[in-house]
Amino acid sequence: MPQSLDAAHPVPPPAPAAAMLKALFRRSEIPLLISLLVVIAFFSIASDTFLTTRNIANVLGQSALAMTAGIGVAIVFISGEVDVSVGSLVAAVAIPLIVVMNATESLFLGIAAALALGLVVGAVNGYLSAYLGINSLIVTLGTLFILRGGVYLYTGQTAIPDEAMLESFFQIGNGRLLGLLPYPALIAFVLLLAFAYVMRHRPFGRQVYAVGGNPEVARLAGYSVKRVKFACFIISGLLATVAGIMLASRLGSAVHVAGLGFEFQVVAAVVLGGVSLSGGIGSLFGMALGVLILSFLSNGLGMLALATEWQLVVTGGIIIAAVAFDEFKRRRI
Amino acid sequence: MTSESLSSTRKPGTAFGLFADRSQIVLIGILAALCIAISLAAPQFYSEANVIAILRQCALVLIVAAGMTMLLICGEVDLSVGASLAFVGCIGMDVINRTGSLTLGVLAALAFAGTVGLFNGIVATRLRVNSLIGTIATMMMLQGGVFLYTREAVQNHHHLPSFTGLGAGYIGPLPIPVIIAAIVFVVAFVALRYTTFGRYLYAVGASENAARLSGLRAERLKLIAFVVTGLLVGVAGMILASLMNAGQPTAGRGFELTVIAAVILGGTSLSGGRGTLIGTLLGVLVLKVIDNGIIILRWNQDLQMVVPGIVIILATWLDIVRRRADAR
Repeated sequence: MPQSLDAAHPVPPPAPAAAMLKALFRRSEIPLLISLLVVIAFFSIASDTFLTTRNIANVLGQSALAMTAGIGVAIVFISGEVDVSVGSLVAAVAIPLIVVMNATESLFLGIAAALALGLVVGAVNGYLSAYLGINSLIVTLGTLFILRGGVYLYTGQTAIPDEAMLESFFQIGNGRLLGLLPYPALIAFVLLLAFAYVMRHRPFGRQVYAVGGNPEVARLAGYSVKRVKFACFIISGLLATVAGIMLASRLGSAVHVAGLGFEFQVVAAVVLGGVSLSGGIGSLFGMALGVLILSFLSNGLGMLALATEWQLVVTGGIIIAAVAFDEFKRRRI
Repeated sequence: MTSESLSSTRKPGTAFGLFADRSQIVLIGILAALCIAISLAAPQFYSEANVIAILRQCALVLIVAAGMTMLLICGEVDLSVGASLAFVGCIGMDVINRTGSLTLGVLAALAFAGTVGLFNGIVATRLRVNSLIGTIATMMMLQGGVFLYTREAVQNHHHLPSFTGLGAGYIGPLPIPVIIAAIVFVVAFVALRYTTFGRYLYAVGASENAARLSGLRAERLKLIAFVVTGLLVGVAGMILASLMNAGQPTAGRGFELTVIAAVILGGTSLSGGRGTLIGTLLGVLVLKVIDNGIIILRWNQDLQMVVPGIVIILATWLDIVRRRADAR
């Protein structure tokens, strides 16, 4: 339990660099960081092309989708609820985005339409879970089905191509900062830093930890449990929308099968990152490390010319090993 | 919570009370409303052929859902059933092709599926990996593994009539899969309600610590539930392979979500300790009647995803409303 206290009341890092470093090493992200470094070290030795700036930048770009959606899913988990609807939402938001852009030739209006859908889905998930008290796994499983079915119905099971061909839209998913770092990675990191700051240093973040850790105590402390959870679902909906926009830009169309199984990928990364399913425990940096470990693994295994099937087998094994090790360590303490 | 977990699992007395209690009223109501609405719009809904078609559709889901209900009751979950279902079909078909023996094929399928269940159980109980993530990992391994095992569908080269009978045969008026599902259902129902094993599962799910302090071996009970679920996936996988007349590595995508949706629609709690097999049966029936209705009304088949999504949310909400009304 000391870990939960640590997560719920993070010590604000003092200014001097040495003290900051010391505070950093007490945190639970360190084993994850070491795992990530081991993965990177292993593949750097095993493959010549792995540890190049270009490849690292590519992996960061590939991890951006799971990281962006993962921020929202992790926040919902910390608040003690679950959101699995992101897998369908990333595909669903591409439809208003592409349709509005095709009609108006305006990237701004397209993104606004996509965000509006994400907002509505987040609000529906949040209202049903927080205010009506329906189990959030059931709610978001339901919206996962409804959205995917809705996408199939609207598109007739084909992709809707982007006919506006806006350069700015193309750049979102495919452009690179200084010709190196993909924009999706940049967007994901900015969002990660912003939300990590909110979760650690703003009242809202503290409320989320409090509500997830012990809703009764949070209520007695004067927090509106329902409103906090509602807000978490909206954040998750909006962040999944951002991921969906980046995916649509990369694919150049609204693809009806986009994001199939994405929810499993995100949940695996979030839990691997140490975010507890029972709420109140975990950090966004842990989640980010979980995403990076899985992304570097998949990239490295690909570099070793290992078939995609083997990648799945090895990744599955590593997830079990990592979580089992984490549990083992926790019980020893 | 405690009183509710008791009342929803055991309320002896009337004959109705034996099979269903108040918590199932909502589902029975939804099922009745669906049947009436569909039969008004399409009279052929009640034809013998259609009823049997619905039952056949239910059979596969119900077989696996019986195991999943036990798992959820003891507080665990298995997301690898869909991936395992496909793998089992490929292995069973391959073994029959090589040996020409249905028995060996079924045994191989059961052995494989049971091992997957055992693996999941060991990961969840000994390594203490949360089963939600542990079985996602198993799902990934099985999805990768099945393509390593076979690149394409394992075709039927043996043409055994008994194998085809497994999925498509009849005993009297009833299809064999329906009979198998009925047997599985009755055995699981009795095991959960009338044996100490079943009572212990509820106890472990409701409070693992309390159960352990009263001397129950929680880990072993959970392990058994995982293995039972695995074996039932083996049964379902062979029936599916027989129905498709091939072992399809891509079969079973999303099957785990259908099974879990049916079980939680039936009122089984995700946090453990609460749930009934009657509820699961009703949940499976509701989902499959919806599927069938969409087909015979000639609606767009993509609605087969949308409508169940709405129904599971609606049913859970109505159940909450009913419970609040009961509490007053």
